[in-house]
Amino acid sequence: MSADPIASSSAAVLLDAVGRGSQAALRRLYELESRRLYGIALRIVRRPAIAAEVLQEAFIQIWRNARTFSPERGAAEAWLTGIVRFRALDAVRRHGREVLSDDPALGDDVVEADAVERIDAAAEAGALRRCLGLLDENQRRCVILAFVDGLSHSEIAQRLASPLGSVKSWVRRGLLALRSCLQS
Amino acid sequence: MIPETRDDIDILAGEYVLGVLDPTARQEVEAALADNAMLRDAVAFWETKLHPLSSLAPPTEPPADGWSAIAERIDGDGRHNRSPGLWSRPTPWRWATAGFAAAAAALALYLALAPVVPAPRYVAVLHAPQREQADWLATTGNDGLTIRPISEQHAPAGRTFELWAIASGTARPQPLGVIPADGILRIATVPASVRGGATLAISVEPPGGSPTGLPTGPVVFVGGVQPL
Repeated sequence: MSADPIASSSAAVLLDAVGRGSQAALRRLYELESRRLYGIALRIVRRPAIAAEVLQEAFIQIWRNARTFSPERGAAEAWLTGIVRFRALDAVRRHGREVLSDDPALGDDVVEADAVERIDAAAEAGALRRCLGLLDENQRRCVILAFVDGLSHSEIAQRLASPLGSVKSWVRRGLLALRSCLQS
Repeated sequence: MIPETRDDIDILAGEYVLGVLDPTARQEVEAALADNAMLRDAVAFWETKLHPLSSLAPPTEPPADGWSAIAERIDGDGRHNRSPGLWSRPTPWRWATAGFAAAAAALALYLALAPVVPAPRYVAVLHAPQREQADWLATTGNDGLTIRPISEQHAPAGRTFELWAIASGTARPQPLGVIPADGILRIATVPASVRGGATLAISVEPPGGSPTGLPTGPVVFVGGVQPL
């Protein structure tokens, strides 16, 4: 058990302090979130060296932009995830997917049937799990491959051996179905 | 080209958050975010709702030198561009360990006095980041939640201190009340969010407290809630 008050601060409180220029809060935020965020980056870029670069760039951006985070708009963790995912997508674009995904076995398990059941059992997750379950198989795989593996429309088309037009339409229809389910 | 109908905006925002947009479309969305509230809300909706999906990527230990590379790059980075404030002075990380010692000392003091007060279930020691001593002590018990200053505390002229709770696993601070001028705030019923793992925070707010229901001023004291 730690009695250190800051050690038990939430990401939102730390992010507020980072926005006010506290390097100490940024370091604590790194200790708290780096494993989760590095895992997300690694899943998308596949290479540890590039994932490390992505994590570093993301934390520089968090340091510079923390003041623009507003807790009214969502959870701090989701904001951090967004930053890491976009930096990871940039890295994929910079380095080229074919260079990064030379091991075709990596990440394929994400579209296994039990992927939805493996989503974290947090409160928000219950609704998402239920709503993903209502999508048809192709729509669900598109959403997961895009969000978790960072694949583009054409990369998903390749992975699912399906026409690009179908993939685009599965994504759109999947989003509309998710929206109406998540809003209800 | 940013669409105008609700469905099209929601789809575009969803594609943006999923990351499937090509670079041009992505830049268009990012450029439109500042002025287009409907698009902004739609992006926030998807970021929040899809976030649990990120738990499918297993957490992984980053390289050991990860933090030092970041620290090196932010040292001197734009610090002069930042508005001065309590948190913005150079902040040696040692304050956290100083805080630990202070919290432990305050806890020991509290436990020594415990027999003369009703049995509390939780305690939180709050302190400011750059200071070594514990500044506030919050306790819960049969008589609710009480927070009192350990050393004398005054809000800046024309402002008040407001107490907040951030429940474990959530990010949204819950307002607990404005701290009266004498520094002692008593809440008859312990809020459900105040339990082990929660965080208490004090921010500086306009008289009467935050008008928005969320902290609007700097968070000047923070402490974790510990079970006793």
